[in-house]
Amino acid sequence: MAVQSEIGLIDELVRLRAELRRREREAADKELQLQRYAADLRETFKQERARAQELRRSYMATVRALSNAVEARDAYTGKHAERVAAYGLELARKFPEELILTPELEFGFLLHDVGKVAIPDAILYKPGALDDDERALMSRHPVIGSEIVQGIEFLAEAADVVRSHHEKWDGTGYPDRLAAEDIPLAARVFAVADVLDALTTDRPYRPACSLRYARAMITSESGKHFDPRVVEVFNTIDDHVFERIAAEIR
Amino acid sequence: MTHAVLIVDDDQFIRKLIATTLEDVAEFELHEAADGMDALEVARQTRPSLVFLDVDMPRLNGIETCRQLRQDDLTAGATIVMLTAAHGDHVESDAEQAGADLFLTKPFSPLDLLRLVDQHGERQAR
Repeated sequence: MAVQSEIGLIDELVRLRAELRRREREAADKELQLQRYAADLRETFKQERARAQELRRSYMATVRALSNAVEARDAYTGKHAERVAAYGLELARKFPEELILTPELEFGFLLHDVGKVAIPDAILYKPGALDDDERALMSRHPVIGSEIVQGIEFLAEAADVVRSHHEKWDGTGYPDRLAAEDIPLAARVFAVADVLDALTTDRPYRPACSLRYARAMITSESGKHFDPRVVEVFNTIDDHVFERIAAEIR
Repeated sequence: MTHAVLIVDDDQFIRKLIATTLEDVAEFELHEAADGMDALEVARQTRPSLVFLDVDMPRLNGIETCRQLRQDDLTAGATIVMLTAAHGDHVESDAEQAGADLFLTKPFSPLDLLRLVDQHGERQAR
């Protein structure tokens, strides 16, 4: 009787041990399977990240090509767009709460004058003053430009700068005669960068001004052409920051 | 047009994993069965265009299930993917003889699974 139950116990033990082994094998199989999923997930993520980087690079290359094409017509501005974009980013960096330094912001800076593709050479290159009709057409380039970029998904965010970069703080700018805070901050920042570059580069009708002179000009337009807060921030940035950019992009 | 897909494995974990992987990938109507006998019945009802079939199963194993699916006019046209273990030696030739189209080795790659389903979808579209 005792022997019988002992044999039964041993049988039960063997059975349990086999069952345990089977479950261990199953658990190991499940683990391998999940590891396979995790490995694929990591690989997929890496590939996606590489593709996203490639996409960003080709966006940037496309925008640069487009901005170079716009500038190629304008013989004297050289690398104006690239310099302005660099100045603009330095200024934008000082508004960390309000402006995020995205590629889209830089796209807007680079393509601010893209609307000039629609302006005839005769107006763009006219040596003398423009008549009323010519000025009206010329002043439409921000509108045309913003329409161009709005049609392209990855450039849509650049439209603010493209459309509003000729607005003035006191409301006398164009095309929408926006004033003060109604002008998008990116465009207010850009306006300072744009004038800074215009003043500090040679033009057919005058040589380049010094940075000191440019600062004085811009400061005198604070509250008129420019947002006083942007001018204030601009004056806290050292000369060498702008000088380095001017030396690198020429 | 939605295709019925039948997932046959005695391991609920594997069925769930395949079903979750294929969810929302295409317009599939997913069905599951836990063994060969179940599979034959569900297949006759749902007429799947794609069947994932485990080899080792109680009641009726995958090879035999495959053979019977091929013999029934209602289910003969399905693409049959055998889920095999890496160390099963002559399982593949047995499965091929039984009429299996493709193989997915466990532990399988979810990407391979998705690619296979894509290829199946393209073949169906043609």
